[in-house]
Formats: sequence, structure tokens, C-alpha cells
Amino acid sequence: MSFQSCKDCRYFLPVDVFYGLCKRSKNKITQDDPFCDQAEKIAKCKFCLNYSAERDFLGKCKGTTLAYPDMVAVQCADFGWIEAN
Amino acid sequence: MIKTESSHINYYGHQPGSQVENREQKKQITQRAGAARELYFETKSSVSMEFPYWYTRRWEELEGEIPVIRRAEALKSGFSHLTPVIYPGELLAMSKSSYLRGSYPMPWLSEAFFMAAEDKLYKEAQESGKLTADQFTTMGKGGGNVTRSIGNVISIAGKFGLRVEEMPVMIEIAKKWKDRSVDDVGHKYEQLVPGYSEKEALMRSVICMFDSGYTLPQGREVINYYYPLQFGFDGLIRRCRTRMEEVAGYPEMDRLYYYRATMILIEGLQQWIRNHAEEARFMASIETDVPQMKEYEEMAERLDWLASNPPRSFHESLQMIWLLHVAVLNEDAISGLSPGRVGQVLFPFWQRDILKKVITREQTLELLECMRMKFTAIDCFASMGVVGGVLSGNTFNNLCLGGLKKDGTSAANELEMLILEAGISCDTPQPTLSVLYDEKLPEEFLLKGVECTKIGTGYPAWINNQVAMEFLMANYGHEGMNLEEARAWSIGGCLETSPGSWMPLELDGEIHWIPGGSAPATSVGVHFLSLPKILEVTLFDGMDMRSGERIFPAHGYKLDTYDELWNAFRDYFRRACHVLTLTNNIQHDAWRKISPSLVNSMLKPDCLEQGKDIGQMGCRYNATFNIESCGTANLINSLASLKKNVFTDKTYSLNEYREAILANFGYHSAQETGSYSLIDQIPNDGYDRWKKIHRISLDAPKFGNDDPFVDEIMKAWETWFCTMTHDFRSLYNEPMYACQISVSTHGPMGAVTLAGADGRLGGTTFSDGSVSAYPGTDRNGPYALFNSATCWNHATSQNSQLNMKIHPSVVKGREGSRKFLDLIRSYLRKGGFHVQFNIVDSRMLKAAQAEPDKYRSLLVRVAGFTQYWVELGKQIQDEVIARTEYEEV
Ligand code: SF4
Repeated sequence: MSFQSCKDCRYFLPVDVFYGLCKRSKNKITQDDPFCDQAEKIAKCKFCLNYSAERDFLGKCKGTTLAYPDMVAVQCADFGWIEAN
Repeated sequence: MIKTESSHINYYGHQPGSQVENREQKKQITQRAGAARELYFETKSSVSMEFPYWYTRRWEELEGEIPVIRRAEALKSGFSHLTPVIYPGELLAMSKSSYLRGSYPMPWLSEAFFMAAEDKLYKEAQESGKLTADQFTTMGKGGGNVTRSIGNVISIAGKFGLRVEEMPVMIEIAKKWKDRSVDDVGHKYEQLVPGYSEKEALMRSVICMFDSGYTLPQGREVINYYYPLQFGFDGLIRRCRTRMEEVAGYPEMDRLYYYRATMILIEGLQQWIRNHAEEARFMASIETDVPQMKEYEEMAERLDWLASNPPRSFHESLQMIWLLHVAVLNEDAISGLSPGRVGQVLFPFWQRDILKKVITREQTLELLECMRMKFTAIDCFASMGVVGGVLSGNTFNNLCLGGLKKDGTSAANELEMLILEAGISCDTPQPTLSVLYDEKLPEEFLLKGVECTKIGTGYPAWINNQVAMEFLMANYGHEGMNLEEARAWSIGGCLETSPGSWMPLELDGEIHWIPGGSAPATSVGVHFLSLPKILEVTLFDGMDMRSGERIFPAHGYKLDTYDELWNAFRDYFRRACHVLTLTNNIQHDAWRKISPSLVNSMLKPDCLEQGKDIGQMGCRYNATFNIESCGTANLINSLASLKKNVFTDKTYSLNEYREAILANFGYHSAQETGSYSLIDQIPNDGYDRWKKIHRISLDAPKFGNDDPFVDEIMKAWETWFCTMTHDFRSLYNEPMYACQISVSTHGPMGAVTLAGADGRLGGTTFSDGSVSAYPGTDRNGPYALFNSATCWNHATSQNSQLNMKIHPSVVKGREGSRKFLDLIRSYLRKGGFHVQFNIVDSRMLKAAQAEPDKYRSLLVRVAGFTQYWVELGKQIQDEVIARTEYEEV
């Protein structure tokens, strides 16, 4: 699996495009800080079995519909994990 | 006036002491709101693609569906897929997107910017990663604006940040709206208007600033919170279902689709609220701090309740109006969605809680401060010229206080006193406050308002209740507006008089008549017209000499007399209004067909009763289109100068004036000097040739000095302008009216306008507002300014705008407060519509311009809004510094 950063974690509380807060520690962290050992992946298209990558930051959902890998998918009814989290 | 060469500041009265004077002491913000404000100060404007992605995806899936149903489904998809975010310590949840200061593009309105910028954005994405984190820390300038691309963030127009990962999808989504957006469809059909090319020329020359149809189709209006406060969302669904069954199959079938669409939309809103309740529960589940855990649990319970039911407490009612506010903002690019008279709308809930001891005044103050932080974080992603050039990044959520009740007695109440108190202790740009001044308002309330204005927040602005009511009766009388209903009015946006209605809120068996907006956007139409530029083009027989482009056909006047000049100017002005009204009507027609309002329509009386959305004239009042002007004082001063120097004294010929204007009176351009105020300009080598004509132009009579020579010109202009606007018909076949606020347009419009016969130099910023004097030219004191400003009847216009800058020492202490209130009263008693103040030592502004990082929290009043100094463009900063500073009143 590729490098994962705080923006891929379910405990990341986004504040702006640069930074956010850790929901657990309340510390200020940047979107691009690496996962810590308490991190858990958040549902995103790039972790979904329906997602297929096509080019940088673009792909398809179910092979037909435009999608992008970093979209948070906690509200997507069709989301399914590619691998056990 | 004393011009201090050293500091380049215009003073009236004596010069201030050597020490820069601070504003009067502020009150302490509560710990909770203080923490929220600190977080806000560290936050950058951020754009995300979640909402537009899901909106567009659903829209595409429903190809061929009835348009209003398609729109409702798209909105439902957008709302229900937004990632919920709850910040620690907040008492009011929910925001536009998952960022604190978040917003998103709405390519269904206009996608042209992204299409045009595709290559640039890809290049930025490559370049941005090369910059180091150290460079990121230099971004203090500009406050919350992302002024440059850096790391994994792309700067859009120096304002918004977008993650690199979301840029390609933004472009792809934009492409899907090509030839389908309101902008594209409107543009296709507006070209069918005879003389369309003139419109294009008007836009290129910046005689007109922007098209409202696809940039800001809604806003400058007052929201109405009544229906959900009374019936709750489940109740509204039941009402829609009942009405739907009544109209199904009968003529006027659009009602059927409208009710169905509203039900679909409400389901989306309910899901959005419940998602936040779920997130609050998740936050509680991982929280170790017990009080915070309890707050999350209470929030979850509150949101779950509100997803279906009407509020049971003041806290719930405040949460309800906030989420409704966000819901409307998320359906369109909107500036100036005013919450209106919130203190009166929520008073029944608050009074009941106070009586039952459910809430204390201290808790109320804390909640109101939290509300301020929520409003302050609202951003709007409109086209760039609009966000920067017109709005200065502000979104104009105006909360009004005072005015009269339905029965004509004072409407001021104790909750409004607390709103003012929160405005003092939590001094932030939003919501801006306005006092609807009426002689019946109690002294204690007015002095509280003065206390707030004095600390330099720029709010409350002071608005004449009776003048506004007279305007409303005159313009909406034919739609049924009577005196009682006129009392329900409020300011929409920065300064737009907007009709309201009284709604019967029933609580514990008692009816409380609460005010709320009952008209669509009251400031769409012809936006804005540069009066000095039209005069310039008149002098050059239809040519824009800056670009060399012909704007209008030759006017055919020799301009041998002042009357000929006046007639030629008016002919051009009328021509501009004609073509811009027609093209704008087409754009708004495209908007109502492609992107009809559903959230706002659901709230506005009488859309639900009639089964019609706002675009189908479902609102109670619909005569809401206007023609907006900019640069009034420069126009009047230039006409006065030409009348005196060319046509009366004959000191110079018109040709000599033309030459002097083209030579910029022997000065370098404002762009060269890098300053946009007149007193900072630098002469060039040719200065001696133009010195005399420039001096005589500067010495010509100036508006704002109680001089009948120039005030007569003002009166003639206003009388004509406020009448001729009625000759133009809106999309809804209603007469239009005059609107006279500059917002921030006096900066960019001044930047493209050559020098004027008033002595203003090319490229410098115009005077602000519409009855403000040009900086440094009001030499006879405030009362002379008031006499000039009220030489015409303000009730014939949607508004007028007067900005004043007063040194803090002048209004210090209780004595100063009384003097200040007398000053405000004397202007409003003369019939002035509006006055607002900067209470500031101009030298502090100069210092802030030099070292912005030290002044992150410094607020100033621009024109109808308060903004952080560091987030204003240089053109506007220079203009605010240059305004005459009153050292005595
Ligand atoms: S099913 Fe949902 S999460 Fe999975 S790829 Fe499609 S949109 Fe993304």
C-alpha cells in the first residue's frame, strides 16, 4: 500500500487545505504528516473495491463514473473496502 | 483640512497628538469563542470538491428528468454526501463544507474560469511542490487568503486553497458543465439582444462590473426562518405532501413538481443533519474529557431532534437558523444572505428559556459569540472579479436590530442588547450589525449601539427606519405592501432595503409575530455602473481612451453648453442601462430554468402556499431588480468643475480639459506609484504644463461642503437617476429602482478610469458609497456634509451610503458617546438613509499596511461591511486611509 498521511485517517479533523487536528490527541497536524501508530484508514474512493485508477488523481467508480481517489466516502452507500482494514 | 505631508492623511480639525490613539477598550471574549477565533485566525480559505462532485454525478444520472426534480435530486445528493465535521468546543455545528472556512465551486452556474485556467492550474500543481515549508510561513500577509501555491496546495486567484489531489476532478467536473451552465446558456441567448456588442464593450471597459445572473444569482436579501422554526422538517414534508395531492393532475402542473422537488430536497437536508449527529456521537465515543463528551452527546441529540422537529429551546432555535443559513448558502453562489432581525425572531424562545431558567444571560452571550464565529467563517466561491473586486472576500450577512413591531411600537429587546454585547466582546466581521433607527427606540438601546460602534468594529451601521419604509411602500405598494408589513423590513446584504413579512410563530399557545424576508434577491440587475467612466466616455464622444475602443456611437452633441454635456451623459447612461437590463434578464432566466432556488424558496413566503419557487414569482414581493451606481461624488465633482471652469468662468476649454485628462494632469499613473489614493501620487516631468488646470480643478466646488452650486448638480442627478430606473423592466416585468452602494467596486473601477475634471488622477480609487465626500474634500465639517448628503430624497432610492472616519479621542467616554449619538441622530433626522463609521487613528492603518502580520485582528469598515484589514486589496486600503479623518465633531 502506498504512503499514507493524516488526511487518510479517520481521526483527522480537517481545518483547512494545509492542516487539521487529531481527533484523539487534539494536536495540530498537517494533512501530509505520515500515519502515526494509532491511525486508522478512513473510507475513501482509493480504498474502495469499486474504484479503478486511470491517471493521477482521477479514476472511475464501477468502471463507468468519474471518481477521484481522495474523496472521503463515509457517506457513500456503495463503498466497500479493498482489503481488511 | 490639513494635509500632513509626512504621513499623507486628510484631517478635518486639528491634527491628532503625536501618539497613535488606540480604540476604546474592548470587552473580553469568552474562553470558548476566543479559542474558536484563534483557530479561525490560523485557518486559510479552502475549497473542496465533494459537493460539486455528487451534485454533478446525480445531475448526469437524471438526464431527461423534469428540471426542478433533477435540481432537487442533485442538491439532495450534494448535501447527503458532505463529510460531517464537528470541532471541539463548538456549541453550534455544521458548515458549508468539511473545512472551517470552506466553500466550493458551482460549475452549474459558471465553469468558464476553470476551463480557461486549466493549463495554468496544472502548471501550478507542478510548481507548488517545489516550494519549501519555510516559504509557507511567509503567508501571513493576506490573513486567511491562500495568496500563492505551495506544497500540495494550489492557490486559486490568490484567495482560495485547493488540494492538488482535487484539482484534476475540478477540471473534469467543470468540463461536464460546458455549454450547460447558467453562464454559457445565458450567454448564448443574451447575444440575441439587438446591440449586444455594446454590452461586451461595456464589460471590457469596466463601465459595468459584473453579471449577476451567474455570479451571485441570490443574496442581498433577508432569509426567513419561520417555517422550519414552526413546523420542523417533518412538518414541512407533510405540508408538501398534502399540497402535492391537492394539485396533482390539475392545471398549473408545475406546482406538482415543485412540491415533489421540495420534499426530495428536505430529505437531503435531513440526511445532512443526521450525518452530523452521527459524527457528534463518534466524537463523543473517542473523547476522554467528560464535559466535552457530554457536549458532543447533547449536540448529537439536538441535531437528531432538529432533523425532524421544530426547536424546543433557544439553543436549538439558534442551531436551526444556523443550519438553514448554511443550507441556503450551499445551493447557490450567494453574497449578502442576511439573517435579518434574529434577536426578534428568536426572542420568544429565549424569553421562555430565561423564565424557566433553562439558560442564563452569560450562557446566551457565549452562544451568541459562537454564532458570530460561525458567520465569520462563511466564504463564497464566486468568480474572481466578484470575490476580490466587489466583495473584498466578505459575504455580507447583515443582522439587523431595532426597528418597529407589527403594531408600530419599538421592536428593540433584551436579546438584541446581548447581540450587541457579543458584537463588542467578539469583534469579528460577521454577522455585521445594523440598527434600524427609529425615534421610538429607547435611549439605552441606542447607547449600547454607540458603545459597539465606538470600539472600531465598524458596526452597527445606522439606518433610517422611516426612510426605508417609505421606499418599500412606494416600490412594493402595488404588490400589497402596507404600512404594517413595511415595518417587517430588514437590510439584505450590506445595505439593500428588503421587504419582509410578519409570520405568526406559535409557542405554548401564544402567537408571536416575527419578521422575516419575503422577497428574492433585492440586488440583481445592472451591476455596477461607473459614473465617472461614463462621463469620461461622454467627453471623448463614445471612446474609451484607455483602450482605444469605441463603447457607444458618437453622441452627436457639440458639448457647447453644460446642458448639452448633461444630456449627452444621460443619453449614454440610459443606453448602458437598456442593453444591460435586457441581457441580465436573459441570464436570470437561464438561472431560474437551470438552477432554480429550492432551499431559499422553501423558506420564503408564499412559495410553499403557491407551489412556486422564487424564479416563478412565488415570493410575496417580486419587484426586486435594480440598477447600481458607483463613483457618485467623483461624477458630481467633475460636473461641477466643468460647469464652473468651462461653461461659466470659461477659464479652460473642453479640449484643454481633454488634453489634461489624457496627460493625467502631469502625474505618473497610479499603477506606477503603487498607490491608489490621490495624495500619494507623484508628478512627472510634464507636470508644470498641467499644474494650473489641475489646481483649478481641485479648487472647484466639491460635494460635501453645503455648497448650493454643487449640491444642485447632485440633486439633479439623483432626481433623474432615481426616476429613470423605473423605465426599465425586470425579468418579472416589474419596474427597477436605483441602488447606490459601492461595496469595493470603487477600487477596480477607479483603476481603469482616466483622470477626472474634479482633479482626481487616473487609476486612483473613486470615492466610496454614494453620499460620501471624496477623501479630503469635505472641508466644512460633518454638519455641512450632512446637508449636502441630504439635498435629495433618500426614500426614492433603495439606499444611499455615507462613510465617516472619526479619531477615537473624539468619541471617548460617556460624554463622547452622547455626542456621537447626537451626531448620528442629526444626520438621520435630516432624512439621511445610512451612516457608518471607522473609529480609528489613520496612522494605525498606515502602520498596518507596512506590517500586516502585527495587525491580524484589525477591523475596518469599508462600504457596507467590516473586514480584516489584512484581507483587503491595496486599492481599498489606500482609499480607507485617505478618507477625511474627523478630529472634532
Ligand atoms: S462506490 Fe463510492 S467510495 Fe467506491 S469508488 Fe464509487 S464513489 Fe468512491
